[in-house]
Amino acid sequence: MLNQRTRIILALLVIIALTFTILDLRGGKGPFSSVRSVVSSALGGVQVAASVIVSPIIGVGSWWGTWGDQRVRIAELESQNATLQDSLVRSAEDRARADALDQLLRVAGVGRYRIVPAEVIAVEPAQDFTWTVTIDAGRDDGLLANMTVINGQGLIGRILSTTKTTATVVLIVDTSSAVGARVAGTEEIGILSGTGRQDSLEFQTLDPLATLKPGQALVTFGSRSGRPYAPGIPIGEVVDVSGTAGQLTRIATIRPFADVSTLTVVGVVIRPPRADPRDSVLPTPPASSNFAPDETSTAGGIDDGASPAPTPSKKPEKETAAKPVPAPAASAGATADGGSN
Amino acid sequence: MWIRQTVFCASIIIFAVMLQLTLLSRLGLPGATPDLVVVCVVALALAYGPVTGAVVGFAAGLTLGFTPPAGGVIGIQALVFLVIGFLTGAVIDPRDRTVPILVGMVGLSTGAAALAYALILAAFGSNQVSWEEVPTLVLTSSLYGLLLAPIVVPTISWLVRRITPETEI
Repeated sequence: MLNQRTRIILALLVIIALTFTILDLRGGKGPFSSVRSVVSSALGGVQVAASVIVSPIIGVGSWWGTWGDQRVRIAELESQNATLQDSLVRSAEDRARADALDQLLRVAGVGRYRIVPAEVIAVEPAQDFTWTVTIDAGRDDGLLANMTVINGQGLIGRILSTTKTTATVVLIVDTSSAVGARVAGTEEIGILSGTGRQDSLEFQTLDPLATLKPGQALVTFGSRSGRPYAPGIPIGEVVDVSGTAGQLTRIATIRPFADVSTLTVVGVVIRPPRADPRDSVLPTPPASSNFAPDETSTAGGIDDGASPAPTPSKKPEKETAAKPVPAPAASAGATADGGSN
Repeated sequence: MWIRQTVFCASIIIFAVMLQLTLLSRLGLPGATPDLVVVCVVALALAYGPVTGAVVGFAAGLTLGFTPPAGGVIGIQALVFLVIGFLTGAVIDPRDRTVPILVGMVGLSTGAAALAYALILAAFGSNQVSWEEVPTLVLTSSLYGLLLAPIVVPTISWLVRRITPETEI
């Protein structure tokens, strides 16, 4: 059944596919970046149009839960329908979008980031193990590669590449993502890397003696001239700490503030603030008793960059240490009530 | 005849790719994204046989690789879809095209595509694969394939009969 011609065609296609794979995996810009950008430019417009058409049914996955009780849903929809007719032009979708924009503007206003708002128009399938999305703003809107992308909850990722009208964003949960982060209210800094899972990131402090506990928030440390990451953007909070103080590496699990699986409105930071906004962008600045009170200053703080580090006398903190540590003084205190907040 | 067949296959593939990237991957369904492209490749391979199936699979894989957001590795999907298209066309005897076999074939293909992508990516030395998620992705991918098959396969074979009636199905 396989004649000569068929065999040649198949072998040729397999060889081409393998060659492409090897070339693409070599990393760097690779020979395909130009092809990708051509296809992006060609299909970007189609994607924008398709996105407009499909936008009302995005997030249909969250309806699963209510399928059990159709009657409640129908009654709900009927009352909602009436409300919508009453409340005239503003549809529910518009309101959600306005809320998202409001939150985004709050973050941008408090942190003094100059942003360009954009909407997510395409998402990479989950089985490709990469977390990238396409947004509907590009070079024409002033976007460049390596700009920070945020939404109303916090950091989303950075721009990987741009076309005239669209841009590709690599999200912070992608395995290739690494963000310099600072624990809010302290001077502890470290590297935050994506794990490929949408609800957890890995944070490794540079100081092995650093004390971390669940509930502490992380903000971006900021890069030189604000690219790829502008300073002071909320990222997420510590949910779990593994490894003990004094060990060579301490890894904390971080839950990002932003839900990267249902992104709609995002903002691209096209100019970082002149002064590091420190912790002022966080929805609830660290007001825990462990920290100096002046860290709680909120909105409008232009440059509280000079706020002092927490006083060392308050150092003996609750540790989430799994096993007792012999030496380091910092964690010699109570090991019992860690993780209470 | 083959011009019409090529245009038809190309439109189906582009439509499927656009639908998959702009709609299906954004529905927020649990687990994998419904792999409409694989389902279409299988359906076209069933209609036109192994060689066309392989070529269509190859082209679909490359299209999916190059279309933004284009996060995957170019070539792997082309290879996987090529094999799926060829095997589907070769394995299924035109005489036993019963509904359960066709639907099962699609479910098997979508699951296998997810698994094969992970395996090939890992075989080339990439550390992007998170193995603890692979079983979930493979299972949900086949499940979505099973759900899509009864809609997509009959639609495409109906279109095949309308657009290229000289094809013997």
